[in-house]
Amino acid sequence: MPPLTRRRFAALTAGALLLALTGCDSDSESSDATDLSGNRAGAMADLQVGQQFTATEPLTFPILYSSHPNYPLKKDWLFFSELGKRTGVTLQPTEVPMSDYEKKRGLLIGAGDAPFIIPKTYPGQERAYVASGTILPVSDYLDLMPNLKDKIAKWKLGPDIDTLRQEDGKFYLLPGVHEEVWPDFSLALRTDVLKELNLAVPTTWDELHTVLKAMKAAHPTSYPFSDRFAVPNPGGSLLNILAQSYSTRGGWGYLNASWDAAGKTFAFTGAMDGYKQMLEYLHTLVAEGLLDPESFTQSDDAATQKFVTGKSFVISTNAQNIVRDYRPALTKANPKATVVKIPVPDGPAGHVQGGTRLENGLMVTKKARESKNFVAMMQFIDWLWYSDQGEEFAKWGVEGTTYTKDAAGKRTFTADVDFVGLNPKGTKNLQVAYGFMNGVFAYGGTTELLQSMFSAEELVFQKEMASKTILPVDPPYPFSAEEREQASLWETSLKDHVDANTLQFILGQRDFAQWPAYLDELKTKNMTQYVDLVNKAHERFVKDHGGQ
Amino acid sequence: MVTRVARTRGERIFQAVNAVLLTGVVLVTLYPFVTILARSLSSEAEIYAGRVNLIPRGLNLTTYKLVMSDSMFWTNYRNTVLYTVAATLISMVLTTCYAYVLSKKDLRGRGILVGLALFTMFFTGGLIPNYVLVTSLGLKNSIWAIVLPNAINVFNLLVMKAFFESLPVELEEAAAIDGLGTYGILWRIVLPLSKAVLATMVLFYAVTFWNSWFAAFLYMDRGELFPVTVYLRNLIAGATTASSTGSALGDVGQVAASIQAVTIVLTVLPILVIYPFIQRYFVSGVMLGAVKG
Repeated sequence: MPPLTRRRFAALTAGALLLALTGCDSDSESSDATDLSGNRAGAMADLQVGQQFTATEPLTFPILYSSHPNYPLKKDWLFFSELGKRTGVTLQPTEVPMSDYEKKRGLLIGAGDAPFIIPKTYPGQERAYVASGTILPVSDYLDLMPNLKDKIAKWKLGPDIDTLRQEDGKFYLLPGVHEEVWPDFSLALRTDVLKELNLAVPTTWDELHTVLKAMKAAHPTSYPFSDRFAVPNPGGSLLNILAQSYSTRGGWGYLNASWDAAGKTFAFTGAMDGYKQMLEYLHTLVAEGLLDPESFTQSDDAATQKFVTGKSFVISTNAQNIVRDYRPALTKANPKATVVKIPVPDGPAGHVQGGTRLENGLMVTKKARESKNFVAMMQFIDWLWYSDQGEEFAKWGVEGTTYTKDAAGKRTFTADVDFVGLNPKGTKNLQVAYGFMNGVFAYGGTTELLQSMFSAEELVFQKEMASKTILPVDPPYPFSAEEREQASLWETSLKDHVDANTLQFILGQRDFAQWPAYLDELKTKNMTQYVDLVNKAHERFVKDHGGQ
Repeated sequence: MVTRVARTRGERIFQAVNAVLLTGVVLVTLYPFVTILARSLSSEAEIYAGRVNLIPRGLNLTTYKLVMSDSMFWTNYRNTVLYTVAATLISMVLTTCYAYVLSKKDLRGRGILVGLALFTMFFTGGLIPNYVLVTSLGLKNSIWAIVLPNAINVFNLLVMKAFFESLPVELEEAAAIDGLGTYGILWRIVLPLSKAVLATMVLFYAVTFWNSWFAAFLYMDRGELFPVTVYLRNLIAGATTASSTGSALGDVGQVAASIQAVTIVLTVLPILVIYPFIQRYFVSGVMLGAVKG
């Protein structure tokens, strides 16, 4: 064979590349959303709200599963066997460690290898996959899901669902839905110290200020308030709950754009007056030695230690922290210590709380749409995640085996079953041994169901929080692809600047007299253009799809 | 009688300062290990109170018993051992063969072969194309997905190649005259002389594979196929993110600090034990590839 000359080699390569390109799969015809005639195998003919879903033939659905280290996946869980009995569906989990769930999810979707059902997707995370065209606009198929539709109507979730809509007016995530906003984070206080100082539990941020001053006077050498949750956003929880009292956003809840109800337009969060006032409040606390400056940088462990060793008396908390992290260690060292999660204090905005009723949910891949069992799958999802019976099943388990229900509807664990210490005599953990109360399957639902596993003290907290008026959710402003690219470029640098300056203003490293200079700096980072972009997107959405 | 050269004052001061500095470095490096060890032997309440530093408090072995009674931990541990042994073996065979071939200066196309290896050191296919490739070859959920794609580490390859090049050609020529074939020369002459570099490479590969979690995380779909490093990573990094972003009740539930500490100790233990015996090959092994004076 003659030696391969350079030219022939180049020609061969070009030919090979060309072949490879044409060999690529061309996009298969996108199925007409309304034509489901070929996808009804195994589906029930007419599924009603509250009806048990049972497939007409045994079905198997692949699902992505986030494995929590506390309750590793067991194929023989009662959850799976009972689910199969009731619905005729066997789930095929692709197990992914929870620590890197999002990475693997992105990889599998990108490689086209994702299972049909992708749970544990938080609102906003689905946006990244919309442009790739690999996930289904589930809003087109809401008619297949009577339980979800019923809940959206009953609980008036329209505005909440609207926040999920993309530019085409459709939404791509089936969110977890709650009947009411579920507040969990607040402040934990040493009530025995309060009693010593003859103080009442503070109900407003100003009262908290007074309480802290009294605590400092009695214990001058320590900071009465030393906070945690500094990672990934400094003051994540504290700023989040404080911001609601100032009609703005902060901490974990920070978004660059906030809806200004008065002006009926979007404003830049980090530049709002409410944001400034919030920072001024915290700065006062720091300047008077009431709030530990390290709150915004120290690890959770360091903050917890200060609290349980009695160096500080106030710390951020959720329901679990008090029971797990604070009380045992605290009372071991000091049996007279008592700690309580107080209702979130009120501020200038009044007796209000913000929050969303949506939480993590499911994505469905386009490949699932082409399956002949697609309709059955959507009905199955509707039953398990959105029907009252399905939600109760996923959370509590099998009546008679894991729990019993009395005439009033109150549920109790059976003798041997326990979860979060509600039945101390039980030896089998509901999650570990049976697979119920699983983060992948059990979330959302009626307030009654949600609170059925709360401790007595948590119920007190929930009752007091329920008296607060719920703030309305912000309207949506979905970007087009080009706008999203532009926005992403600006968003990060704006947020970083706000974060850095938030810390500086609170800690007193930057004086509030420099606030106008700070605003100018934001303007150089395209703050005005960003807000204009947001408002334009919002107006376009209102024009195309209605709403406020 | 042995003559000793007296050290100058300058040398003695240098030695003293050196000793102090290096002892400091050693202590700083050892501190986290000792703390983790102490935590693994302490009770959880003491850890949360922050009283556990270098000495365990509330000394107990219950956490060890707890972790060791988890069958998944042992399954994953067995996987780690299996993957490490198999991967090291395959890597050593492949790397040695490739390096030996490349060390022959009169090989035609040697430049291309070296270039191929070097190319992969600077460029990779990317995460998704790699995944698609491995999956389409049907290697998903099998040990081959972990062992094959990362079999040859180019740095190790080049070190071995340089070492083989440093062996005198006359040795191999003499062996050839005596009637040994290529494989005979490799097996009987070259490898026995390369014990140091082979031991070093075994150690490099073994430690790398023992610590690796990413390949298993990418290509395994079932918990019983994970190595213990994935198990450990989930323990440490998994639940902590959930509790700080207000996730659903079923997600929250941090893994006890004591359990994390115990798992770390058990995972690191074999490497810690083997290292002192092989580390004497280390320095000489790495330097073997350097230019000979």
